[in-house]
Amino acid sequence: MTQLSRIARGLLFTAALTLGVFAVAHAEGGGALALGSPAPMATAVLHNIDGKDVTLAGVAGKKGTLVFFICNHCPYVKAWQSRIAEVGKAAAAKGIGVIAINANDPAAYPEDSFDQMVKRAKDVGYTFAYAVDPTSDVARAFGASHTPEAFLFDAKGKLVYHGAIDDNGQDAKAVKSHWVQDAVVAVASGRPVATAETKALGCGIKFREAAQAN
Amino acid sequence: MRLPLLFAAACAATLAGCSSGPPRAPVAHVAGADSTHLVVGPVGSRGDARVTPASPAELARLVRAGGAPVTLVNVWATWCNPCREEMPALLAVARRHADVRLMLVSADFSDHQADAAAMLTGLGVSGATYIKSGSDQEFIDTLNSGWTGSLPATFVYDANGRQVAFWEGRADAPKFEAAIQQALHTQP
Repeated sequence: MTQLSRIARGLLFTAALTLGVFAVAHAEGGGALALGSPAPMATAVLHNIDGKDVTLAGVAGKKGTLVFFICNHCPYVKAWQSRIAEVGKAAAAKGIGVIAINANDPAAYPEDSFDQMVKRAKDVGYTFAYAVDPTSDVARAFGASHTPEAFLFDAKGKLVYHGAIDDNGQDAKAVKSHWVQDAVVAVASGRPVATAETKALGCGIKFREAAQAN
Repeated sequence: MRLPLLFAAACAATLAGCSSGPPRAPVAHVAGADSTHLVVGPVGSRGDARVTPASPAELARLVRAGGAPVTLVNVWATWCNPCREEMPALLAVARRHADVRLMLVSADFSDHQADAAAMLTGLGVSGATYIKSGSDQEFIDTLNSGWTGSLPATFVYDANGRQVAFWEGRADAPKFEAAIQQALHTQP
């Protein structure tokens, strides 16, 4: 990947941000980001577990971008984390940029602290960025409400999938619909995503208070 | 006073629990007054909660079969901090309203069914509660397609089984109370 192409993709995301004001306003009004919307706050600085700052624009891939909202403490995330690691690795191999974001306030859940994120990523084998949303504002802008929750953007930066990892959090062997995996394959092939919106139970994101933002 | 009357009525229905034996939860609130309904004992009492798996279709049937002026369905989980935080307020409101049927539905994984029962028992809850079974998406859409799946979540139904309010996230006693009043005032 050339530096030029990284910059070009970053500019694409920034332009999409400008065009996406309406969609973001909608998301902050209580609903999740609408299909077709660009990624909001694509240039917001997130703190990755490798100690470096990252942005959504920076991790965008040639074929698309996959964003997971996850955390450490949530039993649903724990149930799905191996599958998240797997599908994230597969997506990256297909040219899709991948990032997992933790927007939880660690004051509410110490297990979601930065140090614990570093440990969890190593234990589970996350091969992509796992970053802190230091104000929870990126999660707010996405309209993300719980963990785990996935958002997949295509090569043009438009949201083409939002929802659950698959249809069975408790039992990986009983999964019938591999929603994110199927969406990743479709996006990487330039095909439409068959099932674009799904839902699953999850842990409500513990947003940081605005006054505590840093 | 409603509570003493209810207590007396409940004792008449469950003599063993009132006359002797261990301090099983004295019944302070009965919605529906039969063994298929949830009972909330006084603060500090120990109950005997049953947690039964229920599919989305079964939950829908149970809500429709309510017969109470107001039904409150609360989806919670043992590990969920905001669920645990709001539970005392929810149970307090249920104690105050004999005309409100409370349905507690655990969203725990099935291997935590006993944990859910133990936690509710420790809060003085006796009788029927539920644990979600089957597809998450069907469960969510059955309760409200606008629900994101985040916990806790509360759904309020009127006497006709019509949903009149729902929200996700932790609530306090005034919010539960206001929702009940709204449901009562939308009666036909």
